Amino acid sequence: MPINTAAADTSNGLLLSTVIIYAIAMLCYACDLAFAKHRVLAGVTEPAAVAVPELVGAGAGGPATMVGGSHAPADVAPGEPASRWPSGFWLRLAFWLTCVGVAVHVTAIFTRGIAEDRVPWGNMYEFIAAFTCMAVLVLVAASVWYRAYYMGVFVLVPIVFGLGVDLTVLYTPAGSLVPALQSYWIAIHVTAMIVAIGLFIFGAVVTTLYLIADRSQRRIAAGKPSWPAGILRRLPGPVVLDRLSYRSILFGFPVWTFGVMAGAIWADHAWGRYWGWDPKETWSFIAWVVYAMFLHARATAGWRGRRAGWIQLAGFGCLMFNVIGINLFVTGLHSYAGM
Amino acid sequence: MSRMPAPVRTALSAAAAALVAAGAAGCAGGDIAANTPGSSGQSFVGHSYESTFYEIGHRPAAPAVAGSTTAGKRLSLASYRGHTIVLNFWGSWCAPCRAEAPALGQLARTLASKGVRFIGVDIRDQPDSAQAFMQTFNVGYPSLNDPGDEIALEFHSTVPPAAIPTTLIIDRTGRIAARVFGASSYAQLQALINKVIGQPA
Amino acid sequence: MTAAEEDSTTGPAAEEDSATSAAAAAGGNHGLRFGLVGWLRWAWRQLTSMRTALILLFLLALASVPGSVLPQEGIDPAAVSQYYQSHPALAPILNRLSLFSVFAAPWFAAIYILLFMSLAGCVLPRTIRLVGSARQRPPRAPSNLARLPAATSYTTARTPGSALESAAALLGRRRFRLRTGDGWVSAEKGYLREVGNLLFHIALLALLFSVGLGGAFGYKANRLLVVGQGFANTPTALDVFRPGRLVGPGNLQPFSINLKSFHAQYVTSGPELDQPLTYDARLTYQAQPGALARHYTLQVNHPLVVDGVSVYLIGHGYAPVVKVTDGTGKVRWDGPVPFIPVDQSTMTSEGVVKVPDAKPAQLGFAGVFLPSAVNVGGTLESAFPSALNPRLSLVGFSGNLGMNSGQAQSVYQLDTKGLHQLRMAVRPLAAGQSMTLPNGVGTVTYLGYQQWISLAITYDPGQLPALISGFAALAGLILSFLVRRRRVFVRATAAADGSTEVMVGGLARSDAAGGFETEFAELTQLLRTEHDGRFHAITGPAAEPDSDAEAETEGPDANRHDVALTGPDGE
Repeated sequence: MPINTAAADTSNGLLLSTVIIYAIAMLCYACDLAFAKHRVLAGVTEPAAVAVPELVGAGAGGPATMVGGSHAPADVAPGEPASRWPSGFWLRLAFWLTCVGVAVHVTAIFTRGIAEDRVPWGNMYEFIAAFTCMAVLVLVAASVWYRAYYMGVFVLVPIVFGLGVDLTVLYTPAGSLVPALQSYWIAIHVTAMIVAIGLFIFGAVVTTLYLIADRSQRRIAAGKPSWPAGILRRLPGPVVLDRLSYRSILFGFPVWTFGVMAGAIWADHAWGRYWGWDPKETWSFIAWVVYAMFLHARATAGWRGRRAGWIQLAGFGCLMFNVIGINLFVTGLHSYAGM
Repeated sequence: MSRMPAPVRTALSAAAAALVAAGAAGCAGGDIAANTPGSSGQSFVGHSYESTFYEIGHRPAAPAVAGSTTAGKRLSLASYRGHTIVLNFWGSWCAPCRAEAPALGQLARTLASKGVRFIGVDIRDQPDSAQAFMQTFNVGYPSLNDPGDEIALEFHSTVPPAAIPTTLIIDRTGRIAARVFGASSYAQLQALINKVIGQPA
Repeated sequence: MTAAEEDSTTGPAAEEDSATSAAAAAGGNHGLRFGLVGWLRWAWRQLTSMRTALILLFLLALASVPGSVLPQEGIDPAAVSQYYQSHPALAPILNRLSLFSVFAAPWFAAIYILLFMSLAGCVLPRTIRLVGSARQRPPRAPSNLARLPAATSYTTARTPGSALESAAALLGRRRFRLRTGDGWVSAEKGYLREVGNLLFHIALLALLFSVGLGGAFGYKANRLLVVGQGFANTPTALDVFRPGRLVGPGNLQPFSINLKSFHAQYVTSGPELDQPLTYDARLTYQAQPGALARHYTLQVNHPLVVDGVSVYLIGHGYAPVVKVTDGTGKVRWDGPVPFIPVDQSTMTSEGVVKVPDAKPAQLGFAGVFLPSAVNVGGTLESAFPSALNPRLSLVGFSGNLGMNSGQAQSVYQLDTKGLHQLRMAVRPLAAGQSMTLPNGVGTVTYLGYQQWISLAITYDPGQLPALISGFAALAGLILSFLVRRRRVFVRATAAADGSTEVMVGGLARSDAAGGFETEFAELTQLLRTEHDGRFHAITGPAAEPDSDAEAETEGPDANRHDVALTGPDGE
């Protein structure tokens, strides 16, 4: 299978551009967080220790703004028309840069696929490029749908870092697939995993913020100092964050389940058994179980909230160990994924 | 079998070191789909002795096996009708087969006068090594050559050999009267054969 | 079950908190008055509580970890024996704890059996309750709808009776189950959520059952096959055979396979040098003795399926063809000997040749096969996995191979206890070259090479049920995540001025991810339009309903919200 080197070089250039664009977008998001005054609102803080997710922004401006389930921080002054699109110079710039970045990112992955004449997720370099792209797509979608623009900087920091490592340490030239990977199942199984990981990354970042916000809120309630309070004032309260992260897991968990199942079907095709406790399989199972624990914990009194948040982060830890750690430390059937 | 100590690894490595600079310290490999265990030897060799006796009326009919012997002659079980047949599945590479070989050869000679005939089925072997085995143990009876396991497969629906060695005792009417898995001793096999020929068939 | 408890039921697999609280209550007063039955009931409640399920899930995840860290008997027995050698003191202890076969360990089984018991104990009563509640009508409307999580009210010129009638019709069209009473309508929807939830958990039980089915009636086997040779699917022809508990040697499907050729193609240049591109094993097979022989090209990801059994290409290697003549001048071995690759990228392979019937003494050889030998600084190495310049190097041993004692041994290893190494210069042989052994014990000739493949043979009758269970679980999961269970109540009362005041209230019983308000807003909007009502909020000053058209929206499909939420919706 000849490699189209021109397309491969284009892809490399595009991915490098992607990182640069993301980095600039990340800075713009940070500027928005730091400078934009319109976010700081009076009376938007959530009531302390509410067990009510829906009631954000309640009590501020009468029925017109007492709309249930608002996920954005009520970053609009009462009566001011709100839009699902970003407002303010820095935020607009950051958001549209992110959109440009993700378009370049998708193009980079696409040209890599053209260069190799196959699905471009055959090794760790390509895999990381793909799931970081998915995570940014989730960010863009969540920004528009749930007005979660405040997540920009927090999601882009790990993405820029991850892509940077991917480009420098893990770079693998375009190439062909080993016979074990030559199957249409790679398009099904790995794509599902990429989508799920993108969603789980977003969920983990939101949960981290949630845990910080929750702690800060409890400290303030207890009259103790809380250093991140300044930043947190520009973010929605823990209840909104918790629900946003729950939503991403709600999307991600079935996709992950499907991905594991597709992997099992492929394993049956390639190796003659659908489940064999290969290290990668074992850890995908562990991650699945821990995320299932998160979902159950969230439905159990005494476990929802902070504890569930920690369980989700533990699940994410298992996921990341599965994605990267297994390839580094353990040899198994998935070893060809390489580093 | 799997936990076989490998003292040879050191000897081999020493030998290999003289030759191969970068000798990878690998285990069983050769795997396309990464390290699924390939074959680490024969898992059926070394079955401990286990015998089954079939009472009259419960004996499955032996298939009409025929083929060429290690010496290149035609041989069919049908031509042994009227004799009690001891059918032994063996291979020259199989250690338990080598251990029981002297007992079998001796029994074949002693029991010939009682109408007992021994036939071997040489499996997973190679003609030169099979010949050498028969010479070493002074095996007087013929052995069918079964490189593709066709003979073993013919017993599929009756009493398939499930260990190496497996010995089947076929009575005078052509029915399988007893089955032995694993290496048998002279006394064990003699008792079993006597039980078969002692019964009116 | 009280409304408060119901409201706390959220999440996809929402096990009632009430179960836990009931268990806790029972645990609190079990005391002495409880006999054995009481204790059992208490234990059962503990087992089926969500807290226990969470702990068991955690234990299951935790218990899986050693299975990925330590070598496993069922996956890589060679690695286990290697571990025994490198950790002679620790290995037997780990073995006693079943840590080399974690997934078959009794303690692992204990965890998942307890988990599934806990699951069954939770799912079964809920299924019964679901069936019961499917026949039940929605509850009566509460008297004060304003106290519900979502509520709104408006006035209309229509009579209370006609307003309620049209409200019931509208809710009915939207597939709510209805119940009407004096001055109220109550409606409920979303039973599918619980159906999905139960389907998911029942499917998991079915999945476990399918795995068990495959374990009992299926089998796995491996076979190494040299090009030009054949084998039949019978136990003696298999190198590794792992039958299910209920599989006998006669249950094997009687097919046979002959390997005609094997061809591997590799990348010959660039950064991926040595990487394999394709493997093609051409073979013929017969479904049973006497059946028509068919051709098949076996490839990775393209298993051969014969008689319900799948045959996979899982490995390949070289088998040098060696001829050994003993001291008496007789040929004692003449054939291919499978060598095991120790380096996949160069296919450098190691193996042994045993000649137990050589005279005057048994002979053994340990060898290294280099498919593409090149001289690197005075030592030979293989540079490429294809056999471009094959060389075989053998070290000879003489003495007792230890085979005649009957102790089974690996065909890939020499037991050097009874052997002594022959003193001679080791010289890599090219095809056709011979080496004369010292002391007149014989000659060894390297004639060429063959290739071999290793096959995995699996029969798993639990496969299809497992697949169906898996997809059922997924469907249940998605259903329980998508559907929410919610209730809507409408009350209409005649006001003093002759108009009718309509109150609408709603609550979602499981709405952790939100979205109910949007639906509620949409519903009330529809109702109001139908009744031509005038909106006024329950709390706060009345506002022009359309002024909030641009208000923050819940989701992309959110309509205008003229709803005031006054209370929690159920988290």
